[in-house]
Amino acid sequence: MTRALITGNAAAAWGARLAGAEYVPAFPITPQTEIIETLAGWIDAGEMDCRLVTLESEHSMLTAAGAAASTGVRVFSATSSQGLLYGMEMIYAAPGNRAPFVLVNVSRGIQTPVTLEPDHNDVLATRDSGFLQLHCATCQEVLDSTLIAYRLAEDHRVRLPALVNLDGFYLSFTREPVDIPARTEVEKFLPPFNPETTRFHAGEPVSQGVVVLGGAYYSYFRYEQHLAAQRALEVYAEVAAEFEQEFGRRYDAVETYRSEDAEIVFFMIGSFSTKAKDAVDRLREAGQAVGLVRPRLLRPYPAEALRRALAGKQGVVVIDQNLSMGMGGVLHGELAGALYGQPGMPPVLASFIGGLGGRDIAAEEFYEMVEVTRKACQEGVTPPPRLLYTADELRQMRKLQAVAHAERREDAA
Amino acid sequence: MYRIRFHGRGGQGMKTASRILGSAFFLQGYEVQDAPRYGAERRGAPIFAYVRAARQPIQERGIILAPDLVIVADDSLLPMPAAGVLQGVTPRTTLLIHSSEAPETWRQRLNIAGSLLTLSAQAEPHFAGTALTGAAARLVGVIMRSALEQAVRQELAGLGEETLSANLAQALAAYDGMAAHAGQVSEGEASAAVACPRPDWVDLPLDEADAAAAAIHAGATSVEVRTGLWRTLRPVIDYARCKRCWWVCSEFCPDSAIKVSAENYPEIDYEHCKGCLICVAQCPSHAITPIPESSEVKP
Amino acid sequence: MKDEAITVYKHMKDLPSSRLLGTGTPMCAGCGGLLAVHQAYDILGEKTVFVNAAGCMTLLAVYPYTPFRGSWLYTAMASAPAGAQGVRDALDIQLAKGRIQPEEDLQVVVLTGDGAAYGMGLSSTSSAIEHGLDFIYLCYDNEGYANTGQQSSPATPHGAKTATSTGAQGFGGHKKDLFAIWAAHRPAYVATVIATEPVDLARKIEKAKNLKGPRLIIALSPCPTGWDFDPQETVEIGRLAVKTGMWPLKEYENGRVTHTKVPPQRAPVEEYLERQGRFAHLFKPERNEAVLAEIQAGVDEYWAEVEKIND
Repeated sequence: MTRALITGNAAAAWGARLAGAEYVPAFPITPQTEIIETLAGWIDAGEMDCRLVTLESEHSMLTAAGAAASTGVRVFSATSSQGLLYGMEMIYAAPGNRAPFVLVNVSRGIQTPVTLEPDHNDVLATRDSGFLQLHCATCQEVLDSTLIAYRLAEDHRVRLPALVNLDGFYLSFTREPVDIPARTEVEKFLPPFNPETTRFHAGEPVSQGVVVLGGAYYSYFRYEQHLAAQRALEVYAEVAAEFEQEFGRRYDAVETYRSEDAEIVFFMIGSFSTKAKDAVDRLREAGQAVGLVRPRLLRPYPAEALRRALAGKQGVVVIDQNLSMGMGGVLHGELAGALYGQPGMPPVLASFIGGLGGRDIAAEEFYEMVEVTRKACQEGVTPPPRLLYTADELRQMRKLQAVAHAERREDAA
Repeated sequence: MYRIRFHGRGGQGMKTASRILGSAFFLQGYEVQDAPRYGAERRGAPIFAYVRAARQPIQERGIILAPDLVIVADDSLLPMPAAGVLQGVTPRTTLLIHSSEAPETWRQRLNIAGSLLTLSAQAEPHFAGTALTGAAARLVGVIMRSALEQAVRQELAGLGEETLSANLAQALAAYDGMAAHAGQVSEGEASAAVACPRPDWVDLPLDEADAAAAAIHAGATSVEVRTGLWRTLRPVIDYARCKRCWWVCSEFCPDSAIKVSAENYPEIDYEHCKGCLICVAQCPSHAITPIPESSEVKP
Repeated sequence: MKDEAITVYKHMKDLPSSRLLGTGTPMCAGCGGLLAVHQAYDILGEKTVFVNAAGCMTLLAVYPYTPFRGSWLYTAMASAPAGAQGVRDALDIQLAKGRIQPEEDLQVVVLTGDGAAYGMGLSSTSSAIEHGLDFIYLCYDNEGYANTGQQSSPATPHGAKTATSTGAQGFGGHKKDLFAIWAAHRPAYVATVIATEPVDLARKIEKAKNLKGPRLIIALSPCPTGWDFDPQETVEIGRLAVKTGMWPLKEYENGRVTHTKVPPQRAPVEEYLERQGRFAHLFKPERNEAVLAEIQAGVDEYWAEVEKIND
């Protein structure tokens, strides 16, 4: 084991290397590119026994990834934002083949307008695909989650591809201290890929990805994917326990931070959740009973663990770094669905949209979200959803609009 | 926690400088977070990088708003509000500026109450990053000389022994030169939740679609972007030698920043010239010379 | 070319009668594409994995029925060559590590219609050729999006009536020259075939099978449903496509294009066109002389060019 300062992207690459990924179909896109460059560098230097092929698009990249997994090798790939969307057909196609591989997504806001910085609309677009989803908050978690993702995805009871998500910039380009385990340690945790019966070779014919006509037959195959994804909850717990035993780091499907005796908790995913922990510490210093509940595993959805973590709380500050147009925050809606009608659940789920396109969430905003939620709890009225946006930001926006509409104004004058 | 911000231009090695400092802290046993921040801009454009270092795991993320130390590799960035060099600077912040001008001059010019130090401008500006890092390592006072050396070796390993040694010498010299100020920069405390001002949130109004779409309803608005600020070397035309063959320098200027006067003299638009110096290289009569941007000689 | 493994196909009696492709597929009666696939499969053999794109042949394997004795993988319309890349690379990785033995290796064959080959899949095909991918691409070209009811595709011939070109002039565009596009990538091999010339087809598939690298084959596939003719006429219409010079049989290898079957005396294109409902509007209620002349001129021009090069 070595401890080194590495970026989230490098941590993802280390995850692939230590997992013994044999095949990497690739396509560059900011802010993911460093992952495939790092892997290519290791392969060229003879440090990693792996084949990396740059396809002409993410759609082809994901097709090759799925096909190679179906042929019997351990596959790793990575993408981001528009690339993930461009490959979306294959994101939905891959899980049904039950041939597991791991895809890292480096979150970046999606167009229109085009941006480079992160939010979670890209990864949440894959929410219903059948890919298992692990969401990371630190660079260490990126490496560890990649290893866990292989174990989970390849488990005989699951056999679904898995996606590991990290935020662009805030993790992808940020160095943090990371424990990099030795390959021999990882081999104990993650044995070589067993492709089982789904593997193309002469002598045992397989027809894969075939048409299924008839709703009842189709429903069967689709629901089986769902059941396998749900089974992954139980498998995850086992795998995480084994991981903790091997490496000493604990990754529950739902992370809780100072939430046991909390009255109000933050609920969110991704790298900003460490900022929420900081806010929790500051608020605790000020005598407020506040905590954090963070699902690491978003698919399968750890509903039962969330209900346990949130039972008896007065209010939940749900921070969505995403936006479902015409509806609001995706996590908020999902959480409400998981808690509704269950006994002892918090009466107030306050919805906040923040951090779109990499917009920072300031410490005072965390405090204020708690304040708003506390007031709502006292008054028994859930506040309307709130976009984290300041008057000054709107003033700056208006200045840009003045430039963008200059000619029109002149015409009108 | 130490919160340190580096300001420079794309191509001046700010990412490497921040990484050397980050690694030096790390080797000293600190928890560290370091990152460069840049957008779509390229070489010459203002960029920054930051380093956080603490004894406890770091939960803070993103841009440093209350720096303990601000390091400026290029003093021409200081008067630029867009570069944001002075953002969050308070009397307890130390400013370390790479400049040939005296600290007193900068203190007055910027109206700075806190500590302001300069590191004499290097004859070879590409050493600025490593030298500043050496100085910063001494200013925080908790980094051993050996940790700095190891960090430089680690981060510049790919550059070859010669470049590495030259940079290392610069870093160590700057480290030694800051002995009098050792430990001057101290760890800032996190501001308490109760002391925080409340955010000035607004409800976004629903605007008309034409305003609310990210469309620009005007031509050539990019002229409002002063890319002249990217420039470190300024091309100057010696009109006595200019043959008025305007088509060479103007034609080959990628930024359309050389206009042609009615008398067929080329005129450089310094608000937008990025200082690529293609005009200097291509002028048939060698009438264009580059001068340092900081030079007093104005064209 | 002295490889003993190469089977020489000179006469119909040389052709294999193994009939590897299973019966019972949902393809239309009289399908010219299925005809080409079954002929090709007999030459390619069981140690084949077909990587399929969206098209008529997607329906070859409908759970739980597959006609393949070897393997099959359905990908998507745009990316079958990328699927082939993944399979080939994964086979190579396992061969290199000894996880599979050479006798377990498979010939990777992309199978798509013209919609994928001429259009949506061009980008991934170009990429696969550029990578020097060791695969065979077999395109069954039925000159339209036949699976969805014969809308015009980039392979639809000029003047043909399709579900999206129903006017008096038929399809206004011109069939894309996919052979030239593929050949411009300088792959190992490109050929046009038609199942109604089975010896020519067998010889070319056999040749492709024994080469390495990207090998691409376009099979014109008379389509009774989409082209509107009686299924029993599939073979006759295919023969006429060759006889009239509408479908030149040729191959590209080592930078050279060779015509493998030059019709000694080309029949007028009308003989081919008038037997298909999709061209009926060129004959009735009155003859559309302009379009007929245009089609004939196109064919004449093509062969004049061929003769010029061969002289």
